[in-house]
Amino acid sequence: MASLTGSAVSVSAPVMRRIKATNGASSLNSVSFFGQKRSFSSSARLSISCAAKQETVDKVCEIVRKQLAIAGDTPVTGESKFSELGADSLDTVEIVMGLEESFDISVDESSAQEIATVKDAAEMIDKLIACK
Amino acid sequence: MAFTMRAVKVPPPSASLEEARHRVFDLFKSACRSLPTVMEIYTLNDVVTVSQLRSAISSAFRKNAHITNPKVIDMLLIKGQEELSNVVEHAKQRHHIIGQYVVDRTGMHHGAGATKDPSTSQFLDNFYTSNYF
Repeated sequence: MASLTGSAVSVSAPVMRRIKATNGASSLNSVSFFGQKRSFSSSARLSISCAAKQETVDKVCEIVRKQLAIAGDTPVTGESKFSELGADSLDTVEIVMGLEESFDISVDESSAQEIATVKDAAEMIDKLIACK
Repeated sequence: MAFTMRAVKVPPPSASLEEARHRVFDLFKSACRSLPTVMEIYTLNDVVTVSQLRSAISSAFRKNAHITNPKVIDMLLIKGQEELSNVVEHAKQRHHIIGQYVVDRTGMHHGAGATKDPSTSQFLDNFYTSNYF
């Protein structure tokens, strides 16, 4: 438990610094939200740390494949990075927008910056759907 | 009157290419997020899907991807913002949206018609460009 809180604190510090540059109010919200999550039961904590649901990953792969017009034989897995699949920054933003539309969620600026692989996107989607 | 009053304020110029890039993505995101509204205003539900409109928007952004001067990027962003607000406040009409964002316009450029049909004479094209040919 101590190690988890320790790692959580170290993760939130750089995130806070980045958020502070853009909007001070939102950083407060994100810190308090993080604190609440940690005080929940152990099952909630476990669900955050484990991988995203397979169907979410599949859906994300499908959207990425369609957006980047990837050939049928190229593998797109949870570990695939968008940049490796041939996406430039505008493609990445467009993929995030496509995910927002199909999952009916709203991704904020700071979370969108951290998405680099298919798995990151799927985990973030699951988290957003869970707290809606 | 409301249109002009809103357009008077110009945001401060971008300090760096990185800031200009952030503004570009912000404009792209606000354009994408307004797409459901646009679909509803102009009743495009049977004509096109949101993803097709989104790729039309991204290809318009990509056409200027080679620009590196932040001031030029700012100017393009102002034009883009103006276009977006015109579309969203219904200052355009359905045929504008369909003609500009739905119809495939890859074959339309200056001289596209003349190059397709070699039998038509070049006389008028030359006449339009200059008096001396």
